[in-house]
Amino acid sequence: MKPRQEIRNALKHYRLQAGGMTQEDLALRVEVTRQTIFAMEKGNYNPSVGLALRLAAVFGVSVEELFQLEEGARDA
Amino acid sequence: MPSKKISELVRPKLVPTVAGALVILGFALANLTRGQAWWWCIVLTGLGTFGPGLLRELGWLKDKDEFEIQAARRAGYHAFLASGLAAFLWIAFVRSGPRQLKSPEELATFFAAILWFTWMFSSLVNYWGARKTAFRILLAYGAAWMAFNVLDELTHPVAMLMQSLLTVPFFLCAWLSRQWPRSAGVLLLVASVALFILIARVHEARGLGLVVSATTMVLFIGPLFASGIALLLRQSAESDPIQQEEP
Repeated sequence: MKPRQEIRNALKHYRLQAGGMTQEDLALRVEVTRQTIFAMEKGNYNPSVGLALRLAAVFGVSVEELFQLEEGARDA
Repeated sequence: MPSKKISELVRPKLVPTVAGALVILGFALANLTRGQAWWWCIVLTGLGTFGPGLLRELGWLKDKDEFEIQAARRAGYHAFLASGLAAFLWIAFVRSGPRQLKSPEELATFFAAILWFTWMFSSLVNYWGARKTAFRILLAYGAAWMAFNVLDELTHPVAMLMQSLLTVPFFLCAWLSRQWPRSAGVLLLVASVALFILIARVHEARGLGLVVSATTMVLFIGPLFASGIALLLRQSAESDPIQQEEP
C-alpha cells in the first residue's frame, strides 16, 4: 500500500553512490530490517523523523536532501 | 559475519518460535489429554498468539522496527473492522429468525478466527506486498496439503502420488502470481467460490453446525480469497515487485 503523503526520496541514489552499499548494509547501519529499506525506496513507507535523521547521518547529507515533497504537494 | 548481523538473524526468529511453540503446545495439551480441566491449556495458545503483541505494547519486547510495528498496528485496525462488522452481521442473522446455536464456544472460535486471520493477512500484505504474500501463502498451502497426503497414504504409493497431484494447482498458481498477478487473482477468486460451494455441501451433508462451517471457510478459503483480492487490487507493478537484493 502506498502512503498518502506525497514524499519522494533519494535513498537509492545515495546508497548506490556510497560505494554500492546494499540494502542489507544500510539496514544494519540504521538498525531496521532490509524490508524497511526496500519499502522506503519503493515509496511504500515514509520513515519517522528519527529514522530519517539516522539515514541522513549515514550518507552525510541533510534530511531535506534525502526526502522531498512532490511538486504538487508542495504547491498545495 | 559481524556480530550484529548474527543478532539480526537470530533475534527476530526467537519470539515467533517461542510463540508458535506455545500455540501448538496449548492445542496439543487441550486435545490430547483427558478431562475438561485440561482445556485450561488452551490459554497457552492465547498467550502464544497475543502475548508477544502485548509485550511489545508494554514496551518490554523490542524485536520489531518501526515499519513492522506500523504494519502490525494497521493490521490490528483491519482486524477490528472485520470482526466488528462480522459481529453485527451475526447478530442480525441470529435475531432475524428462529436460530439456535449448537455450541456457543464455537462462536468464540469463529470470531477469534476472523480476528486472527484478518490481522495476519493484513500485516503480511502491509509488510511484503500483495504478490509476495500471495506467492508464499500458495506455496504454504501446496506444501501443507502435500505433507498431509504423503502422511495419509504412506503405505499406498500410487494413491499418494495421485493425491499429491491435487497440490499442483497451488504451486502452479504460486508461479502464476509472480508472472501474471491479475490472472492469478481471478483464478484464486474462482477457486475460492468453487471451494466455498464444495465445503458448504460437504458440511451440509454431514450436518455440521453453521459456526463450524463459517470458521472452516474463514481459515481455509479466506487466505485464497484474500490473496485473490489483494492481487487484483495491487496498485502497480512497481508497488511490490518480488524483491531482489540490490547492490
